[in-house]
Amino acid sequence: MSTAGTNTAGTNTAGTNAAGADMPGTGPVGAGPEGADTPGRDPAGTDVAGAAGEPLHLEPRLEQRPAALLEEGGTLLHALVDALGSPLNVVLPDQIAENAERFRAVFRRHRLTGRIFYAHKANRSSALVRRLVTTDAGLDAASLGELQHALASGWTGDRIMTTGPKDPEFLWLAARAGAVVNADGPAEVEQAARLVRAYGLPRLRVVLRLSGFDTSGTTVLSRRSRFGTPARSLKDLLDTVDRHRDAVEPTGVGYHLDTTSLDEKAAALEGCLHAMEELRARDFSPRAVDVGGGFGISYLAHAGQWDRYTTALTQAVMGRRPPMTWDGHGYGLRMENGTLKGALGLYPAHRHLAGAGYLDELLSRPAPTLGGRPLGTLLLEGLHELYAEPGRALTDQCGLTLGRVLDVRAADRGEHLVRLAMNAGDAGLEDHGVLVDPVVLPRDATPTTATGRPAAVHLMGNLCLESDLITRRTVHLPRLPRPGDLLAFPNTAGYCMDFGATHAQRQPVARKVAVHREGESWHWCLDEQYWPITRPGGPRT
Amino acid sequence: MRYDSITDAIGNTPLVRIDPEVHGLRTIDLYAKLEMLNPFGSLKDRAAWNMARDGLAAARERGETVVELSSGNTAKALALIAGLHGLPFKSVTNRMRIPEIKDLLLLLGAEIEELPGQSECLDPTDTDDPLTLFHQRLNRPGSAHFHTDQYFNARNTEAHATGTGPEIVADLDGRAPDWFIACVGTAGSSTGVARALRVHDPAVRVVGLVGEKADFIPGIRNADEVQQVGLFDPATYDTIETVGADDAIDGMVTLLRRCGLLAGPTGGAAYQGAVRHLRAVEDALGEEPAERRTAVFIVCDRVESYLGYVRQRRPELLGHAPAKNSVATLTDTEARTATVIDVADARKWIAEEDPLVIDLRGPFAYAALHIDGSLNIVDELFDEMLRGGLPFGRRRPVLLACPVGERSARYAALLTRMGHPDARSLAGGIVAWRDAGAPLVRD
Repeated sequence: MSTAGTNTAGTNTAGTNAAGADMPGTGPVGAGPEGADTPGRDPAGTDVAGAAGEPLHLEPRLEQRPAALLEEGGTLLHALVDALGSPLNVVLPDQIAENAERFRAVFRRHRLTGRIFYAHKANRSSALVRRLVTTDAGLDAASLGELQHALASGWTGDRIMTTGPKDPEFLWLAARAGAVVNADGPAEVEQAARLVRAYGLPRLRVVLRLSGFDTSGTTVLSRRSRFGTPARSLKDLLDTVDRHRDAVEPTGVGYHLDTTSLDEKAAALEGCLHAMEELRARDFSPRAVDVGGGFGISYLAHAGQWDRYTTALTQAVMGRRPPMTWDGHGYGLRMENGTLKGALGLYPAHRHLAGAGYLDELLSRPAPTLGGRPLGTLLLEGLHELYAEPGRALTDQCGLTLGRVLDVRAADRGEHLVRLAMNAGDAGLEDHGVLVDPVVLPRDATPTTATGRPAAVHLMGNLCLESDLITRRTVHLPRLPRPGDLLAFPNTAGYCMDFGATHAQRQPVARKVAVHREGESWHWCLDEQYWPITRPGGPRT
Repeated sequence: MRYDSITDAIGNTPLVRIDPEVHGLRTIDLYAKLEMLNPFGSLKDRAAWNMARDGLAAARERGETVVELSSGNTAKALALIAGLHGLPFKSVTNRMRIPEIKDLLLLLGAEIEELPGQSECLDPTDTDDPLTLFHQRLNRPGSAHFHTDQYFNARNTEAHATGTGPEIVADLDGRAPDWFIACVGTAGSSTGVARALRVHDPAVRVVGLVGEKADFIPGIRNADEVQQVGLFDPATYDTIETVGADDAIDGMVTLLRRCGLLAGPTGGAAYQGAVRHLRAVEDALGEEPAERRTAVFIVCDRVESYLGYVRQRRPELLGHAPAKNSVATLTDTEARTATVIDVADARKWIAEEDPLVIDLRGPFAYAALHIDGSLNIVDELFDEMLRGGLPFGRRRPVLLACPVGERSARYAALLTRMGHPDARSLAGGIVAWRDAGAPLVRD
């Protein structure tokens, strides 16, 4: 495939054809940044035969770049899947730079300096990592492979944070390269100090990862975490750091909580401010507080659709309407003695507060034990820098996953079974509990009038396995797909693209391409051949 | 009236007619059942007392803690009842969204545990709901709890079937109202009252109100959440309608400003939902009915705890004109007129003229590191002080410092406007001071 990277596709003509005809029924996809102006498909009043009931759409929130690609790029995307196979992942490197800038704007609004570290684990893409190196962002590497990838993509150690479980090689390379080590506890500090001394490395910067913060007034419970040092053991941790002063320099403290709750994060950040004071009292000179990640994505265009969908799902579980899923799956909900039990095991797909806005809100929260002043103000007043490690939130709108329709057949109850040339591991949306509608990209540019009626479908994967459903949800599409059509799963770049993809049954793993829009045309190259200084598709005159 | 115990004062609340000029209904008399006048402040006093009363003595003997899953009024009533009987009380909750109530519960001596939020990196196999987690915690070995279980305890419903409901009938001269409108939280009050009213007149129509999912109304569950409630049975209600936070506040403002009722948002939601439903009924009428009909809704609790809730959603309802000597009144142009001084010049100026150095940061940051000899007056306090005039003489020059030199510039401009001849702002603030290598001390 040595020539593939220089291919150029997506021309004016192709784009225009696709725009008018290839998107029957979906309307213009996602107009504004919030997609708020999108004239959505009317969920009521559209008649679908069968037990699935009225169509309950979950339209994706699509910002300008992915919306334009789906609207104009149908011919290009079909050509790419023809050449590179199904499934195929598409990334939009320019988007991640824009997302980083949104986080930077929140830093500016709170007058804070510091760094936004992209959590590489969200996506293996080279293009995203290489595009971001040209901005002022940092990178959070969680494995030896990610660290090597970052260094080979042009990152220097001063802009890298290493997190997660660390084997000796990972720790050594981080120290060798001058990266910051987000240290899990005393044992890791000692191990790092031994490596620094044994190999004559420069003094290693460490951020101390804390967990289990105390709260004032009420007890705010948090899920048990495998990681970090309990805040109440900080003294012992500092004793360890003190013994290794020559080898390690604590540049700050941080947390990384797996929760959507702002209350828990605000309590942790407040705990970190107290810990910074501890460090200063012990005569260290810490500079930064690390608030980790978990800022989230809002996947859906309309809050109302999400509310209606989840209400209908509850009704279905309670037996008050027909099932909306394969085999009546309840996504964690169940009925016992006429009462709803369990918890909805779904990502909150529509969020009023996500990404940079979530960080803004966290920084605006008051700290009750510190005079009720906002956390951002306290960071600034304490002369602290802010570190953040968004993964999912930085990859918002940065990519999509394409799957070819192989077979469509009618099932009982009026639904259709649609089999795709991909499996559940290739678009990890379901695995992450993210429910969002795919967009149909027809093979042939037929006139919009001949597109047919809305259809309720089940999406089946290519594994010889009962459980290989792309989603267990009955999906309502604007019309029944035909073999040869593509389904585009939107917004998969954050954890839902290659995180869980496997070679099971020797099925192909998706290739990845980076696309770039220039004027009216689209250009692409293989992900591994993307470099930010060269136009994808090579120079043009 | 004389009582041996405050719990004897629970119940027998007034039923007050709402002036038709306010609600505008032509053919229906609308009454408010003022449950906010119960001694602990809400409708929940009845259920709390009825669920707890018979178990308190045994619980005390066994040294148990009274425990409930409650976000507010039930916890408040139980905390008081537990205290009255020498028992500790603990509330476990994932829904404590009113900070004032949280503080009040702590003041009453309650212990509060808040359950963790949803995972950001979802584990689809982890489907334990908060209620299950709560019950698991109660059943741990060694746990000594008296769990009142308001969402499943039939004595919750019973308190209203034998109290609230019959009181309404008695106050309407032995007749049940034609409509009863209630917000659905634990479903205890609506189910109990409905049961009592239907004994008198099976034709009474019961309207249940649930919250919109987009926002929340204190004490009301949304359409999905009510399904988790053991006492909830959809057959209790003739219709279930939704009300939003905006409706709740609109209704509350009407009750406050037009009816003399110090109702909170839950009562506001009930009023607004009642009027909306009844107006639609009147509009659908072909001709005026022969006799006037009656409807009753419940005012659950009082407004005072919900000022933050209102401030967040409708700040204009609490609007004040900005004070004269406040940075909020400075225009950006005025703010730019402040005299600023860079770090090098400031150090020289401090050495030569000894200005009063005021550090506007919080006390925590000041204690950690500050300019030697500076005085810490946190900005919000300084703002407060300036409203009354200059807190220092005009002859002493003043250097103001904040983190980056932005707020200090605004205050320097304000001091100048107030007539101070030499108030300056440290350019770039304490951050610039540190970056220039100038000394900061902690003492």
